[in-house]
Amino acid sequence: MKAVLTSTLAVLAMLLGWEALVRGKAVSADLLAPPTAVLEALLRHPEILLDQGISTARETALGFLLACLIGAAMGAALSSAAPLRRVAMPWVLALQIVPKMALAPLFVVWLGVGAPCRLAFAVFIAFFPVLIGTTAGLAGTDSGALRLCRVLGAGWWQTVLRVRLPYAVPQLLAGMKTAATMALLGVVIGEFVTAQQGLGYVVMFAASLGETALVLAAITLLCGIGVALYGVVLLAEWAFARWYSAPMPAGEFG
Amino acid sequence: MPEAPTLIAEAIRFDAVGKTFPTRPVPLRAVESVSFAVRRGEFLAILGPSGCGKSTLLMMAAGLETPTEGRLERGGVELVGPHRQTGVMFQDATLLPWLSVLDNVLFPATIRRIPRAQVLEAAMRLIETVGLKGFEGARPHELSGGMRQRAAICRALVLDPDLILMDEPFSALDAITRDEMGDVLLDLWQHTQKSAIFVTHSIREAVLLADRVLVMSRRPATVAEELVVPFPRPRTPALADSAEFAAVVAHLRGVIARNMA
Repeated sequence: MKAVLTSTLAVLAMLLGWEALVRGKAVSADLLAPPTAVLEALLRHPEILLDQGISTARETALGFLLACLIGAAMGAALSSAAPLRRVAMPWVLALQIVPKMALAPLFVVWLGVGAPCRLAFAVFIAFFPVLIGTTAGLAGTDSGALRLCRVLGAGWWQTVLRVRLPYAVPQLLAGMKTAATMALLGVVIGEFVTAQQGLGYVVMFAASLGETALVLAAITLLCGIGVALYGVVLLAEWAFARWYSAPMPAGEFG
Repeated sequence: MPEAPTLIAEAIRFDAVGKTFPTRPVPLRAVESVSFAVRRGEFLAILGPSGCGKSTLLMMAAGLETPTEGRLERGGVELVGPHRQTGVMFQDATLLPWLSVLDNVLFPATIRRIPRAQVLEAAMRLIETVGLKGFEGARPHELSGGMRQRAAICRALVLDPDLILMDEPFSALDAITRDEMGDVLLDLWQHTQKSAIFVTHSIREAVLLADRVLVMSRRPATVAEELVVPFPRPRTPALADSAEFAAVVAHLRGVIARNMA
């Protein structure tokens, strides 16, 4: 409780200091809008910001879901078939070395300036942590538990559902937490390069007009979307931990 | 669910069984021409130093490893994989952390798709016998090492197998808990006619629990000596304090020392 109070006070103090710096002309209001101006911008254009915010939120959520599905499916496929792993893993890793932002304009060339482009890009940069979480989780199954399954004559599906999956979920969730932030990043970059809609577009547009207050207002909303999505994954993790009802073997990831 | 009685008097038979692992650069010879049989209802202890290949022997009995030479028979039929009527216990309890004690004990029934109601009574009885009553709903991380191993005993016995294989089941426990677990097992065996192979490096455990002890040589494992334990059943833990018991232990210690020399 005391920790919460301290950090809340620290944030308030920082905001006050920021406001004071701008009002005291130490920093020009044109370069950095004060918190009150950001609040004002939020209240001045609620419908524009809300519209664009919903667009961003929807694409982020969808991108995140697709990234989770594709990442988990690919991870499961790669862990179950060694030959596939040998063929695919170098490519998957090579893709991770490419600075992925640099590929964003290519996605526009391939998919146009619409939602498919932004979604595809979000999935492209968000699926990897889920894939790694899935493979690490499936590989990390207690070897004793697997031996027990063999002794009992458990089938492949039984082993996966009753033992491998429960052991893999903590790592999978850790991967999904990273994917949640990556999906938002992907959508915003997509909005930058497609310049059509979304909060990322608002940021670009407002910045080009020197409207720093509006830029910061849009970023505030982006933070809200990020926190909400991350919160959903935390909630899932909490629910799983309750069911698991034991210390989780895997901690933070990435 | 007692099996129909068979004419075969042996639960399991090793016939000149050998096992070589294809390691590099030199193949590892773990077991060399081992022959013995466990009669129905007999408790056999296999005694040997760590790393002598006795675990490999047990893995073959469990159907998890295949012999590279010789033949393994289970109830008169060649053993080719895990057997439905065999219960296995390992060094670690390997309970699933997200299942309660009861669900862990019932796990074999879950895997074999045997209705819960059909084995619930047996499970509860076992849980009571090993002294875990009141902990049915506890999770493994809430239990001590000894309690986890008790749950693992119940899991190995829950489907009423006719042969139990135990691979140093108490070696990860402290000395006091270890003796306690030996007593639990002794108590369990007063009431059953099950066959057992119990791999251990504790001479006390072997003599207290077994009808017969096989002393293994150093790797590759062969049967160096066989000893019929001269104490009738039922036995009590107090047996371990007697002079006769000490004499048998001393004799076995001598055998092991000779084989290690």
